[in-house]
Amino acid sequence: MSAVADKYPVFQELGVDVYSISVDSQFVHKVWNDNELSKMVEGGVPFPMISDAGGNLGKIYGVYDDKAGVDVRGRFIIDPDGVIQGMEVLTPPVGRNVAETIRQIKAFQLVRETKGKEVTPSGWQPGKVTLNPGPDLVGNVWKVWNPKDNK
Amino acid sequence: MSIMVGRKAPDFEAPAYHKGKFGSVKLSDSLGKWVVLCFYPGDFTFV
Repeated sequence: MSAVADKYPVFQELGVDVYSISVDSQFVHKVWNDNELSKMVEGGVPFPMISDAGGNLGKIYGVYDDKAGVDVRGRFIIDPDGVIQGMEVLTPPVGRNVAETIRQIKAFQLVRETKGKEVTPSGWQPGKVTLNPGPDLVGNVWKVWNPKDNK
Repeated sequence: MSIMVGRKAPDFEAPAYHKGKFGSVKLSDSLGKWVVLCFYPGDFTFV
């Protein structure tokens, strides 16, 4: 979670509210923040750390492991209308790539700003070519985009 | 209710710790903004 906290300024620039959620109580969240995370991120965790005691939120979002009694590593990107645009669920041993989350948010924001007139091909980064969906593009993606463009 | 991209995120209100204070978070208070929700297995775990 310190990796997400470390990138919080970027999330703020993008106008993103960040929330972390685990089944731990808010009291344990405080102790973890004060005793460990604040040593990795200056000032500690800057966003609300939600307590999901009993795993009810995890159950609703499909990320509660009832055998282990914990919420697994689920990450959801939600747009300003409250619609889920992206989700990723990992088993506990492998951490997230926060840079990829940021890349996806930038891509979803661009699609939203252009009202879907521009869409982003695989591995898109800001400034790279976007695609304009429509009859003219059918069968012609190869003319405007190549997987090697991602390098 | 099932979770699916392109569909509404279920709203919730839950207790939270935030910058030295105990409070609560209501997801729908963030309507109009982008949101990242990060579930994780537990405090003091290693990853």
